[in-house]
Amino acid sequence: MVWRVIETQLRRLRHNRVEWLLTFAVPVAFFSIFALIFTRGVGSTPRIKVALVDEVNDDESNGRDAVVDVFDLLADNDGVRVVGPNADGASDWLTRDDAEQWVRRGKATIAVIAKSNASSQGLDFELLNDSSDQVASKIVSALVIQAAMSTRRSTATPDSGAGGAEGSGDGADRDAMDKQSSETESSSFDAFVGKLASRAASETRPPEIKVVNVIGEGKSNPTISVYAAGIAVMFLLFGATSGGGMLLEEQENQTLERLLATHLTMDHLLLGKWFYLTGLGCVQVTVMFLWAQLVFGLELAKHLDGFVMMTFVTSAAAASFGLFLATLCKTRGQLNGLSVVSVLTMSALGGSMVPRYVMSESLQRAGLYTFNAWALDGYDKVFWRELPVGELAPQLTVLLLTSVVLLLAARVLAIRWERV
Amino acid sequence: MITQAAAAIEVDDLHKAYGRGHERRQALSGVSFELRRGQRLAYLGPNGAGKTTMIRCLSGRTRPDGGSIRIMGEKSTLQRTREILGLVPQEIALYEDLTPRENLIAFARFHGLRGRVARRQTDWALQWTGLTDRADELVGGFSGGMKRRVNLACGVLHQPAVLLLDEPTVGVDPQSRARIFEMLDELRSNGTSILLTTHHLDEAQSQCEHIVIVDQGRVVAQGSFDDLVHQTVGGDRMVQVHLEQPIRKDGNDGLAGTGLALQVTPGERMVSARMSGLGKSLPDLLTAVQACGYGVRDVEVETPTLHHVFLHLTGHELRDS
Repeated sequence: MVWRVIETQLRRLRHNRVEWLLTFAVPVAFFSIFALIFTRGVGSTPRIKVALVDEVNDDESNGRDAVVDVFDLLADNDGVRVVGPNADGASDWLTRDDAEQWVRRGKATIAVIAKSNASSQGLDFELLNDSSDQVASKIVSALVIQAAMSTRRSTATPDSGAGGAEGSGDGADRDAMDKQSSETESSSFDAFVGKLASRAASETRPPEIKVVNVIGEGKSNPTISVYAAGIAVMFLLFGATSGGGMLLEEQENQTLERLLATHLTMDHLLLGKWFYLTGLGCVQVTVMFLWAQLVFGLELAKHLDGFVMMTFVTSAAAASFGLFLATLCKTRGQLNGLSVVSVLTMSALGGSMVPRYVMSESLQRAGLYTFNAWALDGYDKVFWRELPVGELAPQLTVLLLTSVVLLLAARVLAIRWERV
Repeated sequence: MITQAAAAIEVDDLHKAYGRGHERRQALSGVSFELRRGQRLAYLGPNGAGKTTMIRCLSGRTRPDGGSIRIMGEKSTLQRTREILGLVPQEIALYEDLTPRENLIAFARFHGLRGRVARRQTDWALQWTGLTDRADELVGGFSGGMKRRVNLACGVLHQPAVLLLDEPTVGVDPQSRARIFEMLDELRSNGTSILLTTHHLDEAQSQCEHIVIVDQGRVVAQGSFDDLVHQTVGGDRMVQVHLEQPIRKDGNDGLAGTGLALQVTPGERMVSARMSGLGKSLPDLLTAVQACGYGVRDVEVETPTLHHVFLHLTGHELRDS
């Protein structure tokens, strides 16, 4: 009898295409997406967007040359992509204020500021960091040190071969030194050794790197907004597709037939459902963020205007997406399969599961075809970067347009349920 | 001068086909019938005969390819249909996660009723369905019969002049069926004209004054039950006389003298015959049986039912495609 049960289940599985999809295709698809993220994404390290700032005084020509060398070495590194107004070398460098703005706006992940060190006459560096990317500052620090040290070695080698002392290659100096040595032999030897030691120390001492978190500094729980938004958007999509499924349920049990025989039209029905799903989505996300504020210290009240705008357009887009999927499918079973595949794929690519900054640039670009990426970028601007609401224009526009287009598509697909 | 009121529904030469090319299937091929005001009409047919298409055409959910529909004497329009017609689908077309009261209020509003009127009609419907004391329980927990009653009530909240019922009693027990027909009687007494489709032919026979039988998109017969019987199986009755002794091989000459086409098989205990004049032929047969020395144990006279008429018209072939 047990075998009969197994046999029956196997036969049912054979006839259920959606079950096949969910059992075999979806896990493989997800494995592939995460494999892409964590191999091509982290394995080869996505290129860190670096803005460069030269604050070495113009009269220190040696220092300027060293900055150019360090920055050139950084630019040549495969792990780094120098960003700037022109992206063509030296003209690409920014001022400190501009660089900070670039980091705040997310155009650059980190800014490297080269400064003179008055005491050692070498270079020190300041990194303006976005602390939401917990990897970039460590990698860039190491790369800057490496570049600075190799630059010093290449400039120091000819001098040290001539004797090591300051001005040692000059004949006049050598005469002066000979003269001095006959007068105070023992004391000048001590000074000579001291100078050599000091020079060697300055050449081998790594440059000082100071990391300044221009975003995230002083926040009580800095990355919580990223996770709150990621999870909220993913469940918003699940909620919307489930809500859209009610349309199919109504179609299957003839409630739709009955409804459309009343004064209700398909326009009323779709708009009613869209408003309902949008409203419910807004409440759902608000509850999520309120919880994040109460328990994890997210600063919701301080960013209310941006939150309201982003939440409305994200919920609206998710509602349209839910209705679009529902009108695209013929049965609830189809919808369940399609919604699981599409929502999980969008969430994986769009940054709800794994931050997009760990993904390769191609995957990050692919993520821009998902709601999640645009919504998360918007919430990121509101809560993390604390940018004015005007900066949300691209995200608001894309999500609103998506919402309108998908709602219209759902309306067109729903024609088949109308008078035929 | 007496003028006769226009029929509630007049369907004339209605055509409707689905699909294209080789896939094209004619669902309605020139269907014509009439539902008079206050009448209850059974629209019958085997599966795939076009019953649901007809209901959809009448309710305005399907646009016919040809022919005409007049409702209350006027050409059918979507707006007029929505005001005059009530539709009760075959499925339980309700929100099972709402209470009956919430369902009724919702459908009242969809039918255009507002405020106090909607609440009044809801209260009436709860009383009409006998569900006043269960008004605030979820429909999902109701029995099939209770759900059917709410399903019916949601279609009549706006007091339609014509009610279309697609198999209103499918899957319910005899008590619930009886209750549903009591509810329909109440509607009819208020002047509502009712068109129903059903596979319960006994219901159609007993509850409807007019019967339309369709097959393959065409009307194959229509009229009252007696008309249909007359048109099809006629007035003949099948009579079976059950005997106390098995029929002998010989000594049955008296039976032949009745002039009836008898079915007699030696060894069996039954004589059967089709009779047109039951009043004369049956006594003659009983006399002949007894004259041959057989005792009569029982007599069965089979009257024609709508079931016989239906099978006579539509055949015994399965309609699986």
